[in-house]
Amino acid sequence: MRTNGDFIEVDCFQRNKGNNIVCGDTFLSHKFKEEGRVISVLSDGLGSGIKASVLSTITSTMLMNFTAMNEDIVAATSSVLKTLPRDAVRKISYSTFCVCDIDCFGRTRIAEYESPAYYLFRNGRCVEMDKFRIPVRRDDMENTAMWLSQFQMEKEDRLIFFSDGISQSGMGTPSMPFGWDSGCREFIARCIAEQPSLSAKALARAIVAEAEKNDAFQLKDDTSCCVIYMRRPRNLLICTGPPFDEKNDAALSRTVMEFQGKRIICGGTTANIISRETGHSIEIDLSSVHSGLPPAARMEGIDLVTEGILTLSRVERLLAEDRREESPDNPADRMLQMLADSDKITFLVGTRINIAHQDPTLPVELEIRRNVVKKIKSLLERKWLKDVDIKYI
Amino acid sequence: MGKIEVKICMGTMCYVMGGADLKDAVDSLPPEERQLIDVSYAPCLGNCNDAGEPPYVQVNGRTIARVSKSSLIQILKEELYNNAV
Repeated sequence: MRTNGDFIEVDCFQRNKGNNIVCGDTFLSHKFKEEGRVISVLSDGLGSGIKASVLSTITSTMLMNFTAMNEDIVAATSSVLKTLPRDAVRKISYSTFCVCDIDCFGRTRIAEYESPAYYLFRNGRCVEMDKFRIPVRRDDMENTAMWLSQFQMEKEDRLIFFSDGISQSGMGTPSMPFGWDSGCREFIARCIAEQPSLSAKALARAIVAEAEKNDAFQLKDDTSCCVIYMRRPRNLLICTGPPFDEKNDAALSRTVMEFQGKRIICGGTTANIISRETGHSIEIDLSSVHSGLPPAARMEGIDLVTEGILTLSRVERLLAEDRREESPDNPADRMLQMLADSDKITFLVGTRINIAHQDPTLPVELEIRRNVVKKIKSLLERKWLKDVDIKYI
Repeated sequence: MGKIEVKICMGTMCYVMGGADLKDAVDSLPPEERQLIDVSYAPCLGNCNDAGEPPYVQVNGRTIARVSKSSLIQILKEELYNNAV
């Protein structure tokens, strides 16, 4: 999602307690394209396993909807607490949460209820933000309160919030008798210092991996870490299909070569056009021959050259099924990896119809290019929160 | 004696219509014949729009349509024979 020309990368990584098959923490993030707004919610349900998962799912879903409708957060919290089922053993209905709402100008509002305090990293250092305490009245517990904070997100800011599986990891061990706590802050500062452009995805994974290490690789609680990183977008151009009018071949080639970011050419004819216009030769990459897809190729100035519609259809299917190919040399998997590593993805789609593909006796995979690209766009936006544009030529 | 150059089209149509398996046909030749053949792939030879008879293969620059494993072996045997005499 772009905000003031910057991109907000949101990623969350979770690990379950012990050998549980369900995580008791729930993370939801949604971008509202029309408003240029990103809302992320992390909730930790009481206990672990299915019961905790139900509590946290109810909490995060309700808070996401209330926040999206701009409802008062205090009223929303009260509704959530009244809705949660009561635990039969502990006789309370309980889950913690952290809601983060970032608007199109980077204005950020965070509401935290009983969750570990979030960290805001600015210029490599953890910055303390003013927080307002708002008491939350409830029948089953006393002295609970919510903390509200509001500030302006700046470029290169990282916002990190997590469940107590992170902050309490390692608790009781000689090196950290009270848990990881402030050690986590130092760990994050070290990670950022070592790699200033560290992505939200990589940082979230690194934090959870370190917590796992603290717990001797047997987590004592469900562990989730969410990182929100505001930065210059990483651009990716996927050029697929020849232009409708051959006169535009040169313009297509110029657009591709002048693009600021990574470049993928998807389609043999398209690759031939770019090769002809630029004078760069195409070399088939023999390592990907046995991948069940036409092999990828190499061309100077282009990060990946693949076949067109079969590869795109495979990418679409993998995205829809949340799968990855097993072979790393597979062209579809390489494209998926590049999609995952990009924020703003532009499809440059040539609209010339390949007459040879219109034979009804051909396999169904030979779908119309534009339809497949539209499906990929929708999946990338919905599942991976990417910013996707399609341009036709 | 120069090697026989075989270029297999890896365009969508050629791949779907059997081009994917054509290299296996070349590799199935006896080693003494196989070593006389250079196989490479091309992203798209651009023939399918004109004649619509994929898969296409170029053998020593000559484009051949609707190639199957058996017909490719046949063509290569002929080329090998022509080169030998």
